[in-house]
Amino acid sequence: MMSSFFELSGVTKNFGGVQAVSKMTFSMEKGELAGLMGPNGAGKTTVFNLITGVYDPDEGSILFKGENLVPLKTFQVTARGVARTFQNLRLFQRSTVLENVMTAAQHHVPYTFVEGITHLGRWRSKEREIREKSMTLLERVGLADRAGQAAGTLPYGYQRRLEIARALALDPELLLLDEPAAGMNAEEVASLNLLIQDIHRDFALTILVIEHHMDLVMEICPHIICMNFGAKIAEGTPREIQNHPEVLKAYLGEEEDE
Amino acid sequence: MRADLRSPSSIRERGDPSLATLIQQIINGLSLGSVYALIAVGYSLVYSILLFSNFAHGGFLVIGGYICYGTLRTFGTGIWMSGALALAGAGLAAVLTERLAYRPIRERTNVTLYLLIASMGMSIVIENIFVIVAGGRFRALPPVIPTAPVNLMGMATTSAFDLLSLVSAVVFLGALQLFLSKTRWGLAIRAAAYDLRTAGLMGVNVNLLISIVFFVAGALAAVGGIFLSVRYTLYPQLGAITIKAFVAAVIGGLGSLPGAVVGSLILGLAEMLTAGFISSQMRDLVVFSMLVVTLLVKPTGLFGKSVSEKV
Amino acid sequence: MSGYTEGILILLCINAIAAMGVSLLTGFTGIFSLGHAAYMALGAYTTAILTVQHDIHWLPAILLGGVVAVAVAYFIGVPTLKLMGDYYAIASIGLGEAIRLILENWQSVTRGARGYPGIDPYTTLPVALAFFVVLAVFMFNLINSRFGRACKACRDDHIASSLLGFHTARIRVLSLMISAFYCGVAGALLGGFLSFIQPVMFDMLKSTELTAVVVFGGLGSMSGSLLGTAVITLVTELFRPISQYRMLIYGAVLVIIMVLRPEGIMGNREFLSWVKAPFRRRA
Repeated sequence: MMSSFFELSGVTKNFGGVQAVSKMTFSMEKGELAGLMGPNGAGKTTVFNLITGVYDPDEGSILFKGENLVPLKTFQVTARGVARTFQNLRLFQRSTVLENVMTAAQHHVPYTFVEGITHLGRWRSKEREIREKSMTLLERVGLADRAGQAAGTLPYGYQRRLEIARALALDPELLLLDEPAAGMNAEEVASLNLLIQDIHRDFALTILVIEHHMDLVMEICPHIICMNFGAKIAEGTPREIQNHPEVLKAYLGEEEDE
Repeated sequence: MRADLRSPSSIRERGDPSLATLIQQIINGLSLGSVYALIAVGYSLVYSILLFSNFAHGGFLVIGGYICYGTLRTFGTGIWMSGALALAGAGLAAVLTERLAYRPIRERTNVTLYLLIASMGMSIVIENIFVIVAGGRFRALPPVIPTAPVNLMGMATTSAFDLLSLVSAVVFLGALQLFLSKTRWGLAIRAAAYDLRTAGLMGVNVNLLISIVFFVAGALAAVGGIFLSVRYTLYPQLGAITIKAFVAAVIGGLGSLPGAVVGSLILGLAEMLTAGFISSQMRDLVVFSMLVVTLLVKPTGLFGKSVSEKV
Repeated sequence: MSGYTEGILILLCINAIAAMGVSLLTGFTGIFSLGHAAYMALGAYTTAILTVQHDIHWLPAILLGGVVAVAVAYFIGVPTLKLMGDYYAIASIGLGEAIRLILENWQSVTRGARGYPGIDPYTTLPVALAFFVVLAVFMFNLINSRFGRACKACRDDHIASSLLGFHTARIRVLSLMISAFYCGVAGALLGGFLSFIQPVMFDMLKSTELTAVVVFGGLGSMSGSLLGTAVITLVTELFRPISQYRMLIYGAVLVIIMVLRPEGIMGNREFLSWVKAPFRRRA
């Protein structure tokens, strides 16, 4: 059997006495768009943190293109082609929209330190390349006309788009989106759905989306993994998940907030 | 082994490893450490609530020292009255510092760097106010605190001063412990040290709580300041010694009060044993080396809590 | 030009070089250090010893002074820069004081607390200006390059930065090393200006002065740091007759700026003619 593009096997993480993630196992093929669902506190963000190396799992392996990501540090995981956005937004507030993206884009367009302090050699051409690449991405997410604005002053919905643009600037192969629709109204969510599907298709990315709300994930993800209390409780197509008894039980216990 | 301090042939000036010297230096160290503890505890208390290093803490120490000196000299009040005034004055100064310099910053932003820099500025302001107003001279406090030698069961000699500062530190720290564990405000402070915002959400008047904490910190620093000014004489830069209390607090664990006490005692002992058995010059170097080692090996210190960010 | 004016200009150049170093570290990389005068001391003493006792020409001696500062910064920085915020500030105080104490007590090499006299006055105005201009060009170029963006990323959000692929520890160390070089060169030039150096010239007060200048000008603005240097150096000269107020004013400036305008004079903007802003949007 051909090994999957991206695979978690038996990943477990304890914090003190609490088991945040318990024997998490699932896999994704290259180019898939999958969703990771579950009520609040289910451990979804912890899974992202484990994948990206913010935490080390107590057990289990995380294979990406055949390589185990567990022993790697966060910046090394990113270098392997994994990018993420954050539930609580982590933009560089004081920098401009363009600078935020350029900071990510520069990784694949290097020049030497000496060229940097002298502004000679490849500095000019590489900086132009970084800037153009960043502007292209900003156009993609509809932020090109706000390029010079301070990131912290953007409306909330645009800040989320900026984070996605910044993550895309890393030229990732696997994109992890952590609750990209949080705090958005129905119209914004629909627009975001379109954006995610667009970039999925145009950049040929493998995307894993965490969402707590059912609407976004159900609509665009053909493959869904559902978690509760740190463990996987269901996996399958939206239709299968919708009718799964464990899933319904997990969400019934939730407050109706929408 | 018979300790013979008076025989010239058996003494080397500093490195005499006799038991008596050891006991003396230990008591010296504990006494110095207990004074550091008074300062370090106040500093750690502020850190535990606001999560920033108040570099101006040394200023409260100096204020306490000068008020005590001033009232003793000018008004001829006894040590009890002068001490009380010094504590109150330093406590008030601390509250004022917080109100004027820290609260406006705190209310606008949660970047602790700005508070750090402001505290650095306040420290310089306070020190230099005294340089200008009181002059840079070293002043000796009137001898109201006994410094007479005391003989300890024939084993060693120490001074009444050392014993007194030890006892005072124990009394004040004990009082603080009672305050924290048995009063409502003490409970509020302990809750706030755990999570300031939540304490506020539960109805605690956060601004008043912070003022109380600063008052307590300032008062404790003042006690330390009085003892330090007897030990080293009083001068505006005396506050610089607070850096050693910072080191002690870090060794014990920033934010932990028992840690501040333990760290201070360790530091006092290390300093005095170094001064007694190696050399006086190496003393400060040992202090900073201990700081560096702590920060490299276990930055959270002996009892400190590590604050990790939520990702 | 009178000798007095010339002296002020030289001092401006020296202070500006040190300020640029501290600006990179504190304003752009977000590392608050209170022990930076130690790097000036290392540069000053290295160069003094090399020129006086070993007859080395001042140009390589100054550069070597910078290199010594960098080397020490590297060995100190690698283990301690893992510490964040307050912890590093306290560590930097400790390290700064430790270095000063070592310089004071290592009599055989540094001549101790009494100071090191007789340094050849190699810091003439052309020399100071040349160093300033070259180092300024390098620094402004640096912050307007990928490295500058990396520093700012580490400053603004070190977790996001590492998740964006930055090796934050290495960037911080590199920033420290560069700032140490600038301070080391500034110290070396100072020695050549005063012909005399003493450990007490590089104590915590000096470190605080360096930080005050950067804060005053604006954390995150290199031209702000230069502006701050100019203002504070000139004001210091004006206040020389009443120099005991000088420190009081420094302290008050720090507090007032943090309370009223923590972003300093320039905020994080630059004089636009110096630095090409990547994209300027018409309001």
